[in-house]
This record gives sequence, C-alpha cells and structure tokens, in this order.
Amino acid sequence: MKLNGIAFRLASLTLLISTLILAAIVGYNYTVSRDIIVELAEDKGTLLAGSTSERISGVLNSVQKVADSISFSLEDGSLSEKRLNELGKRVLSENPEIFGTAIAFEPYGFKYDSEYYAPYHYRSQNRISFTHLGGPDYQYFFMDWYQLPRELERAIWTEPYFDEGGGHELMATYSVPFYRTKNGLKVVAGVITADISLTWMQKLLAEISNQESGYVFMLSRYGTYIAHPDSSLIMNETIFTSAKTMNQPRLREIGRRMVTGQSDVEEVENLPLTGDSFLYFTSLPKQQWSIGVVFPKADMLADVARLNREVATLGAVGFVALALLVIYLANKITHPLRNLTASANEMASGNLDTELPEVRSNDEVGELATSFQTMKESLKSYISNLTETTAAKERIESELRIAHDIQMSILPKLFPAFPERNEFDIHASIEPAKEVGGDLYDFFFLDDEHFCFLVGDVSGKGVPAAFFMAVTKTLLKVVAERGLDPGEVMAKVNNDLAEDNDACMFVTLFLAVIHIETGEVKYANAGHNPPLLLPKNKDSEWIPPLNELVAGIMEDTEYTTKSMTMEPGDTLFIYTDGVTEAMDNDKNLYSEERLLEVMNECSGLSAKSIVRTIDKSIKTFTGGAEQSDDITMLAMQFLGKSNEK
Amino acid sequence: MEITFENRETGTLVLVTGRMDAVTAPQFEKDCVAVIEAGAKLMVVDLSQLDYISSAGLRSILASAKKIKSTGGTMKFCGLSGMVEEVFQVSGLGTMFATTATADEAFGA
Repeated sequence: MKLNGIAFRLASLTLLISTLILAAIVGYNYTVSRDIIVELAEDKGTLLAGSTSERISGVLNSVQKVADSISFSLEDGSLSEKRLNELGKRVLSENPEIFGTAIAFEPYGFKYDSEYYAPYHYRSQNRISFTHLGGPDYQYFFMDWYQLPRELERAIWTEPYFDEGGGHELMATYSVPFYRTKNGLKVVAGVITADISLTWMQKLLAEISNQESGYVFMLSRYGTYIAHPDSSLIMNETIFTSAKTMNQPRLREIGRRMVTGQSDVEEVENLPLTGDSFLYFTSLPKQQWSIGVVFPKADMLADVARLNREVATLGAVGFVALALLVIYLANKITHPLRNLTASANEMASGNLDTELPEVRSNDEVGELATSFQTMKESLKSYISNLTETTAAKERIESELRIAHDIQMSILPKLFPAFPERNEFDIHASIEPAKEVGGDLYDFFFLDDEHFCFLVGDVSGKGVPAAFFMAVTKTLLKVVAERGLDPGEVMAKVNNDLAEDNDACMFVTLFLAVIHIETGEVKYANAGHNPPLLLPKNKDSEWIPPLNELVAGIMEDTEYTTKSMTMEPGDTLFIYTDGVTEAMDNDKNLYSEERLLEVMNECSGLSAKSIVRTIDKSIKTFTGGAEQSDDITMLAMQFLGKSNEK
Repeated sequence: MEITFENRETGTLVLVTGRMDAVTAPQFEKDCVAVIEAGAKLMVVDLSQLDYISSAGLRSILASAKKIKSTGGTMKFCGLSGMVEEVFQVSGLGTMFATTATADEAFGA
C-alpha cells in the first residue's frame, strides 16, 4: 500500500476517525459510569457513616440510660454498702458495653469517718473486678469525671483519658450527679459513672467496617483520635497534628468541620493506608464526638476501571476488525485504479496500442476506464489526423520556402552590385512579412550612361501578391529596356497589368532613370509613397507626390515623367509603406516623421550604411512585434563623374 | 473593423469603422458585393471613422468599385481625413473616384 495512495489515506482516515469516536465513547462512558458509581458510593458512604453513628449512639445511649436510671435509685439514702456493690456488679454483668462503673460520694458523704467512698467495678481479664477509688494519691473529687458533673449539675461525657485510678485503661466516662435531701434541701450527694473502653470501641468500629476496604475513625470534641485502626494515634494525635505531619491542609479543614459537628463527603488525596480516598463524616452530637469513614477511591472506582478495560478491549478488537475490513475494501477499490494508472502511464509514454484493463464494475472506476478507452481512441484518431495535416502543412511550407528562394533570386542581391562603377553607390534590402511577399525592387543599366532603379509594392501579401510582383518585375525590365521615359514605361506596364485583372490587384511603383554622368534623374510615380532625398550636408526632403493612380487598375492611365538633378553626394531613398507602417506591440506606427528624423542622422553615410541604419532603427522600434507588411528599402547615392577612385 | 449599411432614398451609405487591413478587407469586399448584387446603384462609403487602410484595403475598395461599375452603378467616398486621405491622394484613387466632405453631399450630387 503506497503511503500517499488512496487506499492508505482512506484506511488511515477512517481508522483515525473511528479511534477518535471510540476514545470519545470510552471517555464518555468512563465519566458517566464514574459519576454514577461515585454517586452510589457517596450514598453508600454517607449511609455507612450514618449507620455507624447510629450504632455508636445506640451503644452510648444505652450506657447513658443505665447511668441515668442508677442515679435516680441512688437518691434513696438507705442503700447499704452491700447493695451498692451488688448494683455495680449487676450493671457490668447486664451491660457488656460498659467497661466499668463507679458510685463516688462526696467527701464524708457515705460514712462520717471516711473522706473517700467510691466503690468501682470494672472488667479485668474477662472477670468483674472490684476496688475502692480514692486516696491521698487519687483524690477523685478533682478528676474531670467527678468535678465537671458535680459543678455543672448535669450529666457529661468526659474527654477520653487514661484511667489510673482503677481500670488502667483508655476510656471515656459518662458521669451523672445524684442528689439526696439534706435538711429539706436537695443537694449533690455524689456521681455515678459508666466507662466506655476505647479499645472496646475500636473493636466495635472494626466490626462495623470489617467487610469494607476502608476504615472508621472517631474524634473527640477537640479532634483527638478516640478510635483509629492505627492505635498509636489514639490519644496521642489530633486530626490537626496528623494533617500537619502528612502535609494535608485539606485534612485540617475537614477536621475543623468535623469538630464543629458538620456532616459531608470530601475527596482527600494520598491518605496513609488508603491512598486517594473519599472521607464521609458525621457527628455524635450528645458526646460532641465525630465519626469519619474513609474509603479508598481506587476500590470505589475499580468497577469503573474494569468496565473501561472491557470497553477498551472490545474497542481494540473492533478496531483491528475495522482496520482489516477497510484495508481490504480500499485495496479492492484502488486495485483497478492502479491497473488503470499503469496503462495510462504506458499510454503517456506514447504507446496508444496498449490494452486497458477490463473494469466490469458500474461505478466511478468503471466510468473512468470507459473514459480512458474513449480518450485512447480519440487520441489515436487525433494523432493520425495530425500526422496527415502536418504532412500537408510541411509540404506547403516546403513549397513556400522554395517559392521564397525563387522570389529572392529574381531580385539583384549581390552588393556592391557594380564594383567597377564609381559614379554611384546603390544598396537595397527586402524582408517579406511571410515566406513570399508583394514588394519588389530592381536596378539595371539601360545603356552605358542610363541606369534604371525602381521600388514597387503589390497590394496585399502572400502568394497572390508574389505572383503579381513577379509579373510586374518581369514586365518592367522588358519595357524599360526599350529606352522609354519612366512615365511611358509606367503607362505601358499599367496597360499590360490592367488587362484581365479581375482580382483588382494593383502595384504602386516608383521608377527612376539616372544619367550617371550628369546626375539628371527622370522619374515617374504610380501611387507610391514619396521617396526621400538626402542631399549632401543638408536635411532630407520628400520628393513631392504626383498623386497618380496605382498601376494595374485602369487601362490607358497617363503617367507624368518628372525630372530633377542630383548633386554628387546626394542620396535618393525609396521604400515601401512597410517601413513607415511598421508597428510596435502597441500598434504604434514607425511613421514618416521618425523616418525623416533618422534619415537626417545618416548624412555622410554610404548607401549600405543608410539602409542598415534605418533597418536597425525599425527593429529597435518594433521591439520584436510580429512584422505585418513587407519591408523594402533602396538607397541610391550619386557620387558623380569627378569622383574617381 | 465594423461595417454598417444604411439605406437612403437614392442609395446605400456604408460606414466603415476601425482598421481595414489584409485581415479585415475581404469582409468589406464580401459585404459590399452582397449589397451590390441586391441591386444597389449608388454606394457612398463613409471613411470618416476609418483609422487605417492598407494596400489590401485599397484592393477591396477597387474590387467593389469595379463590381458596381459593371452593374451600371457608382461608388462615391466621403469623410476622408488624415492617413486615409493621404493614402487616397498618393495612390491616385482620389482622382479616380468622386469624393465629398459629407455623405449628404454625395447623395445630393
């Protein structure tokens, strides 16, 4: 498959787009399913936090109820020491959630001779143990669990503490004051307590969360860890100190919200044990404690990840299947195109007989093949036509070249024409616009002293003009040699030309005969544009036109013979209108004014140089524009008899 | 080159505009011959709008003039100026044909 071929581009584009679509679907799927699962997890987490809080509250409430009910029964002042002990024992055996219970009396409140009286039942090695609290080194009146409820005269939960009085255990205590009537007044007689072991609390929490990958922790009202799977944190750290240690300012903010009793869900990154996690928290308002439930994000999103893996796998399999199908189809479509290309290249290299591959399909490729077939046939017939036409054209061109050579050969072309003559200098040039033209010039001696020279211009151009020119040139020479005046020569030639001239071809002529010893010139002009006379050391001037009819139109036309005398050094310049009407690319004419100007600069030059100078000036002016008319120039310079070489 | 023919009471006015050279001259001859064959006896050719005329153009005019003469008609010219007038003079055609300044004069004469 070529890298820039249609098959490759089609396949790569299709696959690229389907990959993008697939990626979009997987992305969308991930986002939506993640949102759904996160939402579910939030509900679940919130629910778990709520249920945990309810369970803990339930346990704590039952503890409170027990302590509250005992506090009422203690208002009976007749309770014996034995009954008190039984009461304590019964509380523990009936309430497994209570670690220990103390009934602590005011100083000298139970016995007049005993400052401390506080029987304390607690659990120790699966048994119920008993001790008396109080003594000089354990003055329980000043402990939080005693002093706070007594002073506030209401039940309180103490902050967790390590009990050194009896239980030797991390605990939190619920203390309720109880009253007795003394002198008709109701006064505080002591405090009944119920202790909760934090170790037991931790076990309880572990039970609640043991089927989950996360964990539950509890904070005191000041943010101290009461329960946490990492037991080293309990009572040693607050959520704020651990936030600082872990460099988690977010956790600090969450801690702040937790201790103020709020409930919410937050995402926390990079927690120990669970990594990126969701943290659900709620409060236990009575105890002013708070509960946090932590779930690792990865576990919660595991389902999303699994779903995405499956979708991606399906996508990859689909991609490969699609790729194979697209490549197969693209190759199938482009195969005939490649064959066609090979044939087209063959055709392009010139072999039009090459067989085009057969394409049976009715699709665009089939149409292309048919078009190629048609093009091949058309090209073949066109080339065969072209060959014929070219052959015909070449034949005509070759004939025209020969005609050109013949036409040029009938004009005198050898210069200097009369090297043995020093009385005059003559030079001429002719440049047909096409292969053959209608301009002519000629010069010849009539006798030893009379020299005839002429310039003519047949109407139109090309082959008809060339024929007419040849006839005119021949007639002129024959007639002029009879020794007639130029006007008579012109009249005679006109008659011959006008006879049976149905095409109305005509020729303008300027014919002059010079006496080479005296410089006397006789001339006639049949509608030819006026020649220029360049006298020696003077500005050039036009020979005045005679306004006589062009030759070949009307029989019996009369032509005047004029005469003038040339001084030695004078030059007569005869030309056809191809000179003054030569055009540049903007169709501007060379013009008579320009000719006159250039001619004035030719003073002192030889006949040949004058013709060359004018020719060069014309070429410069036209600047390569296509020549529209034949250009003919003849310069006749009279040097005089005295000018011996 | 553009040629327009206008029929007048006594003949046809031919207005030629632009350049009459080897390329366009045959068109002039063809159009004129068609008008002559349709029976025109007096043709006045208005050359006032003609910018340029070559020898091929002159030939077309002469051929058309010859054609109308053979049917007993006349061809006149008017509005000659500038280069065209010069060509008419130098070639002697000015003396061969009747020329007037305006078309009305040519028809009136």
